[in-house]
Amino acid sequence: MRFLVCLKQVPDSTVRVKVGSDGRSIATEGITWSISPYDEYAIELALERKDADASTGVSVVTVGGARARDALRQALAMGCDDATLVMSEQELPALDAAKALAKVVGELKPDVVLCGKQASDDDQGLVGPALAEALGWPHVGMLTKLVPAGDGVELWREIEGGHEVWKAKTPVLGLVHKSEKEPRYPSLPGIMKAKKKEIPEKDLESLGVSASAPRLEILAMEPPPARGQGKIFKLDGDAKGVAAQVAKALHEEAKVI
Amino acid sequence: MKILVIAESKDGELRRVTREVAAKAASFGEVEVVGVKGERYSPVAWSAAVADKAKSSGAQLVLLGATLNGRDLGARTAAKLGWAYAADCTDVAVKGDAIEVRRPMYAGKIRATVKVPAPAVVSIRPGAWTLPADAAAPSVSEIAAGAESDRLSFDRFQAAAGGGDRVTLAEARAIVSGGRGLKGPENWKMVEALADALGAATGASRAVTDAGWRPNEEQVGQTGKTVTPDLYVALGISGAIQHLAGMTSSKVIVAVNKDPDADIFKIADYGVVGDLFEFVPAFTEAVKRVKSQA
Ligand SMILES: Cc1cc2nc3c(=O)[nH]c(=O)nc-3n(C[C@H](O)[C@H](O)[C@H](O)COP(=O)(O)OP(=O)(O)OC[C@H]3O[C@@H](n4cnc5c(N)ncnc54)[C@H](O)[C@@H]3O)c2cc1C
Ligand SMILES: Nc1ncnc2c1ncn2[C@@H]1O[C@H](COP(=O)(O)O)[C@@H](O)[C@H]1O
Repeated sequence: MRFLVCLKQVPDSTVRVKVGSDGRSIATEGITWSISPYDEYAIELALERKDADASTGVSVVTVGGARARDALRQALAMGCDDATLVMSEQELPALDAAKALAKVVGELKPDVVLCGKQASDDDQGLVGPALAEALGWPHVGMLTKLVPAGDGVELWREIEGGHEVWKAKTPVLGLVHKSEKEPRYPSLPGIMKAKKKEIPEKDLESLGVSASAPRLEILAMEPPPARGQGKIFKLDGDAKGVAAQVAKALHEEAKVI
Repeated sequence: MKILVIAESKDGELRRVTREVAAKAASFGEVEVVGVKGERYSPVAWSAAVADKAKSSGAQLVLLGATLNGRDLGARTAAKLGWAYAADCTDVAVKGDAIEVRRPMYAGKIRATVKVPAPAVVSIRPGAWTLPADAAAPSVSEIAAGAESDRLSFDRFQAAAGGGDRVTLAEARAIVSGGRGLKGPENWKMVEALADALGAATGASRAVTDAGWRPNEEQVGQTGKTVTPDLYVALGISGAIQHLAGMTSSKVIVAVNKDPDADIFKIADYGVVGDLFEFVPAFTEAVKRVKSQA
């Protein structure tokens, strides 16, 4: 079975994201960039299939600028087989990015395409469903598990109170929420191997894609409102007394109980 | 502007977010509320139905709740229509032909004001718009689901172990979350007792869900749920940036941690420095007492 994972490079989850001087984009100086967390889960989910069956192929693709090569390299070091960079220094509207990804899917012909449920920069969750739509494929969201079954796959979708299990004939697209295990770290041999791999580059023109879809325009960005310094209570052996004080404050002052 | 609101039901009843959205949408223009007929959400069949309806109704704006299914449906419908889409918005303003939304970005670390060209599909975060006390129940007409994909079929539902009938996180007005400081799943009885006293849902840090102490769906944070309850109680949670991303917009935050330098205290309104195993049982009793006197 062949997988294609679509990944996006975003600020690392540990970055304290700040607003840039223009007030409508983020300050990027000194930021660490990583594979978006849900895309890392998607890679892990695919690699778990490869662990179980060595004939499994796992490709990765991103639409991004030169910097995004590092994210692809990271995916190769985790154990993915090959990577494709669709070069676009400008952020494309989501539906155009999906069109470009659809062209790559057409060339690589994977059985399963995995996207993250949302990218941790725009937090939209649009490119995955838009890619499925562009391909004319069904998709399953909130994926946490994928099991080969007969001539297709079983897809586990996390919902309130449990999982829906869907059966799909391939090709199919999944939006990943979690993998069974934590995303693996690249091994040293993995890193060495990844360094030697070519990463073919495609441009939008050769894929026949231009920026034409509706574009959202960010007018302003701001950090969430700062929280004031709270009241600190020390237990010091008097759990009962402190508990009564906190309960009273929540009732009389904060009025939440 | 003509607005189409997509209703969502659970167990035969309209979800609260649908009522919130329908009530607010009336201030933007003429509103029609429709729901897709069918037991189980399916992206292909439902987005086809909503896209058809959006086109035939002449709506310039489709609004729906940013629930699990709502976000999925909204995105696929926008893609099918080739319309603009904005997810999980906390507010919308219609300015002539243009739509302006407020929405979190960068895993909740940034709030953005975004101009969305019409026509557009916009999903709204549950609880972002308060339901007016006198809001009439919207009248919802049903539309038939479109054709299903012949490659995908629902097979079965697998209930999560231990999933009770507690309030779900996204809709909860109070949440008690436990972290690694709880030492093990056997100690969740204590978390649940406090949650019951407060009428709260239970949540967890990723350290806890990764360890399998609690189900995934209870995880709060960047790769879990974003929550905005009136009261958030964090027990034995250190306050990693990825956890904070999911809960800093709670109205009132109470944190219990034995480490006085824990980052969680930087955002807590009430911080208790000490052993949670001593404090929580006493606090549960104190909450019961306050509630019985109120
Ligand atoms: C890409 C990415 C995404 C992530 N997403 C999330 C997410 O969505 N949600 C999330 O929560 N995390 C997330 N994390 C993980 C996060 O970085 C932290 O590892 C995690 O939140 C730590 O959980 P914790 O606070 O329970 O555990 P710890 O950090 O181990 O904290 C335990 C705390 O309990 C206190 N304690 C111990 N014993 C007691 C006691 N007896 N009484 C009182 N206090 C006690 C300790 O002082 C300590 O502060 C993510 C990480 C990455 C890299
Ligand atoms: N530029 C991109 N290149 C490759 N995949 C992408 C890109 N943008 C988004 N995706 C995929 O689509 C998912 C959802 O992204 P988004 O719609 O931006 O929230 C991501 O988790 C990726 O899997």
